[in-house]
Amino acid sequence: MTLLLQLLHNALVNAAIYSLLAVGFGLVYRSMRFFHIAFGAVYIVSTYMVIAATVNFGLPLPPSIAIGLLIASVTGWIMDRTVYFPLENAGATPGVLFIASLGIYILFVNLIALLFGNEVKILLKGIEPSFSIGSLIFTRMQFIQFAVGWIVVLFFWIGIRKNTLIKGIWAMGETPVLVRVLGLPYKRMRTVVFTLSSALAGTASILTALDVGIDPHVGMQALLTGAVAVIVGGVDVFWGWIGGALILAVLQSIAVWQFSARWNDLITFGILIATLLLRPQGLFSPKKRREER
Amino acid sequence: MNYILHLLIMIGIYLVLSYGLNLVVGFGGLLSLCYAVFYGIGAYASTLLMVKVGISFIPAVLLGIVIAAIFAFLIGVPALRFRGDSFVLVTLGIQMIVFTILYNWVDLTRGPYGIPGIPRPVVAGYEITSLYEYLILVGVILLFSLSVLFILYNAPFGLALKALRDDEMAAEGLGKSPVHMFLYAFVISAVFASTAGSLYAAYVTYIDPTSFTLDESIFLLAILLVGGAGNRIGPFVGTVFMILLPEALRFLGLPDTVAPNVRQMIYGLTLIVLMFLRPQGLAGEYRVK
Repeated sequence: MTLLLQLLHNALVNAAIYSLLAVGFGLVYRSMRFFHIAFGAVYIVSTYMVIAATVNFGLPLPPSIAIGLLIASVTGWIMDRTVYFPLENAGATPGVLFIASLGIYILFVNLIALLFGNEVKILLKGIEPSFSIGSLIFTRMQFIQFAVGWIVVLFFWIGIRKNTLIKGIWAMGETPVLVRVLGLPYKRMRTVVFTLSSALAGTASILTALDVGIDPHVGMQALLTGAVAVIVGGVDVFWGWIGGALILAVLQSIAVWQFSARWNDLITFGILIATLLLRPQGLFSPKKRREER
Repeated sequence: MNYILHLLIMIGIYLVLSYGLNLVVGFGGLLSLCYAVFYGIGAYASTLLMVKVGISFIPAVLLGIVIAAIFAFLIGVPALRFRGDSFVLVTLGIQMIVFTILYNWVDLTRGPYGIPGIPRPVVAGYEITSLYEYLILVGVILLFSLSVLFILYNAPFGLALKALRDDEMAAEGLGKSPVHMFLYAFVISAVFASTAGSLYAAYVTYIDPTSFTLDESIFLLAILLVGGAGNRIGPFVGTVFMILLPEALRFLGLPDTVAPNVRQMIYGLTLIVLMFLRPQGLAGEYRVK
């Protein structure tokens, strides 16, 4: 029983991080309909900027985190303005955007590796204080991850229901042509999509790095986790993304308990392929008629 | 001199790979991210057959081809039901799964420790040891592969693939089955990947799973995206560019600590710039959809 609770608790903490990644990735994938691989680049840029601010400029941690998030958001915005937006104006297909995005990802990862080195960097030194409730044990960092992750997700959900701009962004994925027809601020909406998505990537990245550190190559893993959660849950349903993140986290913690963390990739991509084969619209999407797709 | 021979051998191995992948990416129009899987299966199958079972080089290579073809069939049947983003994702998933298995199934593959001391290839009772002999071996296999592939490129099979790539529904209306054609292309390309894998293992005499990662698959796809795909010249341009670029950087006097990263950054930048200026690659004819 205790073991089960502990597993569930670990899964919920991981799911909070995975949800951040899923919302960040899903925001771009759902509204722009292309595969934003450079999301993984933004993910590592944010934490490395925090490291640069604390280690190289000697700032305390909280302002450094703010700087990291800010630079991440600006990076995402610049990617859109210099690459995606011009390409799309030139009539690029999703495949072309995908490859350009891959190029950006490779460029940034190696730039970071060049500047900071390939080894794992740690943000917080020392052992985290831990608490226990009954027989459950959790660290301070797990608590912060859990709280921040789920609060951000909740805010997003409210945003999608209440905020006109975010509602517009959500509708953009449905029929992109209508955005311009209706005179909605297309450029501003893109800016919002990319800055928000990048800020979410940064949040997830910094929260993870505070716990286990970071190296330049974890961006791909983070991107894939977010992408798999979105696609497994269903691209068109917000709670589906969160559901996908939960399923991934629960199954991974069961796998860690039963086998070993080394087999996590097998679980993640096994679920992805099984979902695409058996229920291509995602687990939580209603089935669509053929002409609706 | 040895250095130039080594480069020529590597270019030869990568030419077999890129021309094989050309069939799927350039002719079929499917962006596959699991080509390193078949490269790896070929390398591991022939190596394990030589080291553990003790059969000689040529039968091991042929059996490796058969094993890779069976895997390609088993992977292709589900994967080829998808197009576009979903196909990319499914092949990426397969790449990650196979890598995890190669890395963690220590009893079979020795996992991260790799397999050292792979015996040198013996062809017709003659052991190949010097670089010249390796170059001849790679050259002969390359010539054979290219002649087979060039025939396929222009055969009704290659043309049917192109038709399916350009307009699947219309081509299907003309009686070209996407299920069969794409599956044949997938399996045939795996055969060449497996051959290249066996050659690589026999040349380097040491393999470990890190040679067959997602990064390798991306690199192989990038060869075709940079050089161009869907014709005979594109893969050649891409392979030569991607293999010789790091060597050119070496002559510019970049220190070894930064050279790999600078090289990768140039690849990334090349991809971005190409998407603006020439989405079909330097010398290709297939535009990514």
